[in-house]
Amino acid sequence: MTRYTQLLLSGFLLLFLLACLSLAMGAESLPIKTVLQTLIHGGDQDFIVNYYRLPRILIAILVGMGLAISGVLTQGIIRNPLASPDLMGISGGAGLAACTMLLIWPNIDNVWLPPIALLGGFSAALVIWLLNRWHNPSPARLALVGIAISAFLSSCINFLLILHPVEVNSAMIWLTGSLWGRNWDYVWPLLPWLIVLVPFSFYLAWSLDLFALGEDTADALGVDTKGLQIAALLSAVALASVSVAVCGTIGFVGLLAPHLARLLVGSRHKLVLPVAALVGALLVLSADTLARNLAPPLELPAGVLTAIIGAPYFLFLLHRYKGY
Amino acid sequence: MKILSSAGHSKTLTPALLLSTLMLGFIISLYGQSEFLLQANDLWQILIAPDSQDIKQQVILLLRLPRSLVACLIGFNLGVAGLLMQGLTRNPLASPTLFAINSGAACLMALNSIGFAFFSALPSELATFLGALLGGVLVFSLGGGLRSDSNALRLILAGIAVNGLLSSLTRAALIIADDTAYSILHWLSGSLSEIDWHSWSQLWPLSLIALLLAFSTSRGLNLNALGEQTANSLGINITWLRVRVCLAVLLLTSISVTLAGPIVFVGLIAPHLARALFNNNHLVLLPASGLLGAALVCWADLLSRSIIPPAETPVGIITALIGTPFFIFLVLKGKL
Repeated sequence: MTRYTQLLLSGFLLLFLLACLSLAMGAESLPIKTVLQTLIHGGDQDFIVNYYRLPRILIAILVGMGLAISGVLTQGIIRNPLASPDLMGISGGAGLAACTMLLIWPNIDNVWLPPIALLGGFSAALVIWLLNRWHNPSPARLALVGIAISAFLSSCINFLLILHPVEVNSAMIWLTGSLWGRNWDYVWPLLPWLIVLVPFSFYLAWSLDLFALGEDTADALGVDTKGLQIAALLSAVALASVSVAVCGTIGFVGLLAPHLARLLVGSRHKLVLPVAALVGALLVLSADTLARNLAPPLELPAGVLTAIIGAPYFLFLLHRYKGY
Repeated sequence: MKILSSAGHSKTLTPALLLSTLMLGFIISLYGQSEFLLQANDLWQILIAPDSQDIKQQVILLLRLPRSLVACLIGFNLGVAGLLMQGLTRNPLASPTLFAINSGAACLMALNSIGFAFFSALPSELATFLGALLGGVLVFSLGGGLRSDSNALRLILAGIAVNGLLSSLTRAALIIADDTAYSILHWLSGSLSEIDWHSWSQLWPLSLIALLLAFSTSRGLNLNALGEQTANSLGINITWLRVRVCLAVLLLTSISVTLAGPIVFVGLIAPHLARALFNNNHLVLLPASGLLGAALVCWADLLSRSIIPPAETPVGIITALIGTPFFIFLVLKGKL
């Protein structure tokens, strides 16, 4: 067994253990034995375990994967270590679109959330792309433009939520990202998108390794660089947007996960992508578990916790980054 | 720029326009967009026929007047604070918002008001002052602002990260303290809805001290614009200048946050407008930037009340919606 497989396996094991822990812990703590029994046979705790905690854990894992893969693709294509879907305003655009739709039609079917968020995400991406073409900013300045755009979008969300007050936990979903109240009704709209997009990204990862050698070299080696760039960016935006559609703008996962994965396995995308997906899932799941258990029965938004880990890491990246 | 070249011809016109914009905003905000129907005539009545029994006059004197005064003074403070920071760091994006001074003050203010650990024992002014200091020190030390080869862009990015961190902490603290409080959203965005005469009496003495301190540094800042070494050789004690400017900025920002929460981006917009309208002399720029900030907050407050009357939108959201596009514009213009 190579070191890489060992790493992947231990990652899966960790994720599994964390999921079990997350099933057992919460405002009402259950013994692991009861949890396992309930999972298979149902019983008294059926609602808590199977209808409340299980879908939430699944969503945390799926969303973490989606954001992390989106981060790997963005950083790979733009070749900018400070890039990530939330720092480029893409999450902000998706969040604004989804939030607006929910405020206009509160009873709309959840199936429509991902496509609407996609629309928002793509519009934000288009704006960034146009600004990038006209002004051709340096990587660090591009990050600043992206942050400014996300600041604008999140103040729009803030404004909307003040105009149409909703329950504070639902407001927090769109302001900081949270998994509050997410159940099976949100798993099904999310799943088909990820089933298509995740394998496609793995397929792209093979060519991305050649792209990392430089555009000209990749061209010479037979990679359709333009097509690859477009395909990778589109799937990055799509992955981030559908994740945001379900649980809001959880920040810094798309930035953090790819960097941690690269620390673990080097820089080849083929290897980085699965590890980053695992790290992303672990990050969001542990943030949500912590968020539920810090002060039960109160819940913190998971996005607050990812920001508390992510912002210092961003500072560390700034410290190391030399190409201002 | 056209505005710049015409500045010489309009030495009296521009300040006059600026002052009248501010006065107009101030007067309209005294009676406009009120839950309790008021008219311009009621203002006039106060002057010619004061009547302490009249409910309309009471509303104006006890609720509207302190609110408008506080809005103007907070705007003035933030505008001056932004200009001082830009003057000292020679970084065009320096401002209380982007250097996390606002959010640091808000964070400790939140911890203070929910009674977290020993913070609850401090008076709120001191807590916000320490918070502002904390935010600023974090940004400068982590963004490499203290090193000789400091980079403006890196400092700003570090400021944004620290800002994100501190506002997440504030949010967490407020949610744990009270999960049903929708006021979290209002207070965190900066709101003037709970201002009364007591707030005014809290605000003006400290503001006065800080503003005097700020104006005393204007000559030093003019020379500092030539570069630190030049300023040094012209007889400016740079360290002493820095201490005074920092103290003024911290005081101006923290007292504003204590009363109204973080009202963002005023300290970024006002100095840039002031520089576009006037010359680069800090003696002129400081009051100009202050007046622009005051006018901005005053009008933003009026706007915030008119969007969904009788409910109020926090004024900070309006300034954020104006400020963020301005921020994007500054970055794209290559001001950094």
